[in-house]
Amino acid sequence: MKTALKTTFRLSLLAGVISSASVMAADKVTFQLDWLPGGDKAPVYVGIQQGFFADEDLEVKIASGRGSTDALTKMATGQSDIGTSDVGALMAARAQDNVPVVAVLPYFTQAPHAFFTLENSGIKSIKDLKGKKVATSPFTSSNAFLPLVLKQNGLTEDDIQLVKSDPGALSPMMITGNTDAIIAWVTNTALFESQAAGAGKEIIEMPWSNSGLSLYSSSLLASEKFLEERPNVAKRFIKAFAKSIEFSYKYPEKAGIDLHEMVPEVDADIVAAQLKSIYNLVYNDVTEKDGMGKFDPERIQQTWEYVAEANGLSETSLDPQTSVNTAFIPE
Amino acid sequence: MNQTLPLKSWLKYQVNRFAPALFFIGLVILWEIICVVGKVPNYILPSPSAIVTAFFNVEFSRWMTHLWATLRVALMGFALSIAIALPLSIGMMRSELMNRILYPALIVIQSTPVVAVAPLIIVLLGTDDPSRVLITCLITFFPLVVSTTTGMLETPPEMIELSQSLRAPRYRETWQIRIPYAIPHIFSGLRVSITLAIIGAVVAEFVAAEEGLGYFIQFSTSFFKIPQAFAGLIFLSIISLLLFKSVQWIQMWLFPWSLPKKK
Repeated sequence: MKTALKTTFRLSLLAGVISSASVMAADKVTFQLDWLPGGDKAPVYVGIQQGFFADEDLEVKIASGRGSTDALTKMATGQSDIGTSDVGALMAARAQDNVPVVAVLPYFTQAPHAFFTLENSGIKSIKDLKGKKVATSPFTSSNAFLPLVLKQNGLTEDDIQLVKSDPGALSPMMITGNTDAIIAWVTNTALFESQAAGAGKEIIEMPWSNSGLSLYSSSLLASEKFLEERPNVAKRFIKAFAKSIEFSYKYPEKAGIDLHEMVPEVDADIVAAQLKSIYNLVYNDVTEKDGMGKFDPERIQQTWEYVAEANGLSETSLDPQTSVNTAFIPE
Repeated sequence: MNQTLPLKSWLKYQVNRFAPALFFIGLVILWEIICVVGKVPNYILPSPSAIVTAFFNVEFSRWMTHLWATLRVALMGFALSIAIALPLSIGMMRSELMNRILYPALIVIQSTPVVAVAPLIIVLLGTDDPSRVLITCLITFFPLVVSTTTGMLETPPEMIELSQSLRAPRYRETWQIRIPYAIPHIFSGLRVSITLAIIGAVVAEFVAAEEGLGYFIQFSTSFFKIPQAFAGLIFLSIISLLLFKSVQWIQMWLFPWSLPKKK
């Protein structure tokens, strides 16, 4: 009798262990960033900290990246399953190499590229850049779009004096008067402002999206292999990620704390300031018209036309709609 | 009358003894003065005091995490390059054919900027330690091969002739004559390699990493925290110095006879 009781007890214990193990065996997903952690990369951290991924039974590992091409390569080669990168870079890569990666959810529905200049520089609009020295970093995707935005403002590349320099050196160059203007993403505005304030100066931001360059930018991309082999996991991930974006921009302070929790080197208040300053990239007239998380085929076409022109590609080299897979967008 | 003399010579002795430290301290003070007087902003050249503050603003456990990540990769890469370089050198010393085949290949590997092929390595080996260790190994192993081979070839020919006349087998010639003669050369190669190992680990972290001192420095500059980046850099140089010294200590401990005689 005693042994029977013991056996039953042991069996039930075993069953308990097995069932809890199966609960614990969440689906593993590797998430690829296109740069180092920072405000605009907050959503995935928020999703982990707030338990949005855990709710969908997902275990997410984050890998930092070194530029949009690096992120694309890591997704294409299967080092990562899903991640954020520039949809324009994706289109250019697909047109040239047909990389097995597609966009599944828009994130920035406006391009983050901008000119920055000091308030006392006398430059009030992009047209004023004529004859001025402009600094940019060597590998930013902005460089490809520069001729387009200049053209829209009646300038050519010969009208400005373009110099290339390390991303970290751009803002100091501008503040010390080494250059009249710089090219950077508006995700940096909060950082530039605090740095300029340290030198008793103020900066002006001139987003290219205000000057006619209107296109999709940073998006959630996924490897085709991941979507084919684990469609259910992908669907749950995208749902949780959309929720994370919403939360991050609704509660930037909390998002800052979540990111700081996971990456202590990042200051929570800088993240909050960054999220606030890029709110318009995520929520704007485009998302108002199409709804959050929806790709508009017309705007995809328009984005491709810009990308093709910027990269010197023939417009017929890619059907831009094939770069997007809308089957996974949450209802 | 002669009383001042001992004091003078004592002072001279002390100054001489602490000369490196005094020079370093003087340099730091000069640096601080330039930053304060010249009102140099932190994002151009942070002052030593700003760097120290930045150093203590980062939690100690974070420093240890980053340090361990870099040190782990550097030491593994260094060990791997020793494991590759020594047999390779012995092979190249023994066989003229191998020497002719391998040397050009080694020079090609060495003169390829690893930074340029690093993304390729990451794609092939993944984003974890193996690819970082390989990058470190690629940067460190060449000086080792060159110095070990040179050392073994510089064995006095009479010694080799003697061993041959006594019909010593080749392995004994290698292990008991050539390698001991090569020890000073091997250790000078090791000293060059160990500092390169740190550089290799940092280069690898620039390409793909979630922790490590190289990652930390890149991260700090991306947030324009220049004093913090400098703190990381200085921490990194201290580690390099310590590793360099450790190689010397190991040589002193294991092969004291191989060191140049002190005056």
